[in-house]
Amino acid sequence: MSRTKIVLAGEGGQGVQSVAKILVEAGYEAGKQVLYIPNFGVEQRGGVSIAFCQIADEIIGEPRFAKGDIIIMLSDRAIDRCAAYVDENSTVVYDTSVCTKKPEVKCKEIIGVDANRIANEQLSARVFNIIILGVLLEATHVLKLEDIKNAMEMALGKKFDAKPELRDLNYKALDMGMGLINQSLGV
Amino acid sequence: MVNKLIKEDTRMFLTGNEVLAYAANSAEAEFMYGYPITPQNEIMHTWCKLLPKTGAGFLQTEDEISAGFSTIGGILAGKRAFTATAGPGNVIMQDAQSMAEMMRIPFVCAVMQRGGPSTATVIYAQQETRLTCFGGNGEGFRIVYSTAGHQDLYDYMIKAFNTAWKYRFPTYVLADGYQGKMREPVTLYDPASRGITMVPTQKFLLGEGEIGKDRKSVHMRNTYNMEEELMEVLEGYKADYDKISEEIQEWEEYKADDAEILVIAHGIVARSARTAIDELREKGIKAGLFRPITIRPLAVKPLREAVSRAKRVLFTESANGQLAQMVLEKLYGLSTPYETLFKMGVGVTGDDIVNKVEAMTAAAI
Repeated sequence: MSRTKIVLAGEGGQGVQSVAKILVEAGYEAGKQVLYIPNFGVEQRGGVSIAFCQIADEIIGEPRFAKGDIIIMLSDRAIDRCAAYVDENSTVVYDTSVCTKKPEVKCKEIIGVDANRIANEQLSARVFNIIILGVLLEATHVLKLEDIKNAMEMALGKKFDAKPELRDLNYKALDMGMGLINQSLGV
Repeated sequence: MVNKLIKEDTRMFLTGNEVLAYAANSAEAEFMYGYPITPQNEIMHTWCKLLPKTGAGFLQTEDEISAGFSTIGGILAGKRAFTATAGPGNVIMQDAQSMAEMMRIPFVCAVMQRGGPSTATVIYAQQETRLTCFGGNGEGFRIVYSTAGHQDLYDYMIKAFNTAWKYRFPTYVLADGYQGKMREPVTLYDPASRGITMVPTQKFLLGEGEIGKDRKSVHMRNTYNMEEELMEVLEGYKADYDKISEEIQEWEEYKADDAEILVIAHGIVARSARTAIDELREKGIKAGLFRPITIRPLAVKPLREAVSRAKRVLFTESANGQLAQMVLEKLYGLSTPYETLFKMGVGVTGDDIVNKVEAMTAAAI
């Protein structure tokens, strides 16, 4: 039985939940079993925002899991909060251009990506989360690029139609995110 | 009459709160009263978003005290009304819920539990189990369905309206913040397509015709002068409740037939238990699940039988044993030993249960 457990964590406002929604929508449309829990506090802004996502071939039992297969940490506080979800089978991805430290966890592999710097310098700060979506897509290999693009159309299609250059920008961000993982792994 | 939106089987990818709004519409609910509190706000958001199509009504009251009493008022005015709440909102709505119990109002309420006591967390817990079953100054003549996912939310919200209107006891769908906020696939359907006939909405007051000539007067009371008078009424309620209990009780067993270790859990924790049981069975440990679906009333006979068959029992909850307390009372006289895995206001994962059952097994060898 194949089940991929994903934890996506960052600061409120970084777009963590938006990315998670696109990811699970893509999974649903692709005919997978999916389950998504947004974790949230009482704050409207700020605080650590965590998304727990599961994508599977068979019906999913537990809604919350103890350890993730892939854990994405997008801030120092996210690193602190999410260490508990890591074990020796986990892949940990963190953003070296946001975090001031490296996660100190025992896991299968730790991958550093500088998505925030790339977003700011080469694309736009607004597509930082889409770069992360690309990272996630390439790191998990459970969904196809086409599935993600379809889900992006569902979420952002109206904005894309109004400003077609946004579609290019987002696709570019997605592509760069996928490239970041390959660079880090030396593929 | 309202317009029902779901006319044929429709597969959707929704949050639990959205599912509940659709279910209420499919159950022909006409009016929702409510006051915002996380994690159930999207029930009313969705209900309101659908209003132009459904033609139903909504009133946001000034607080949950008012939401509860307004729901009763709506029902007395002849509408199929309901409400939803959570946490501290559930606490202050107890006065109205007690009145619904006293006056035998078909009060339907979805409770999306959050952490407590007080404001605590807005996320998740099973800490309103006792409150929902026995809150208020009364005896808990209520019916409570504890759901474990989105299909349950749809099925049991529809059923809650029928149970409430048929038996006239306040009826609850007890879920939690995870179920409210999480997104998973669900199949929505027209109840008629499943052979479900909705119990018609009845006008308790303001009926047709002239009082004394065409119909009797209606006197719905929540105040009594004499102690004995009150007890007589409550004895009648108790007799009604006991009589219907076997008819409405529901439970689910999973690999419980030959289980040596029987996990007893409700709601979404029962779902984690299923994941754990599959893993434990693969390791050669005979574990099984008993999940009460109606946690009020409990399915006592099947529960006692399942516990009698097992060598040991594990109670697990996202609370400090609120269900266990209710269950243990019903297990009086049985000698099966039990252990507990209680995480107050925190989700129980499959791994948590696997580790605990393995420890129980190791200790027994």
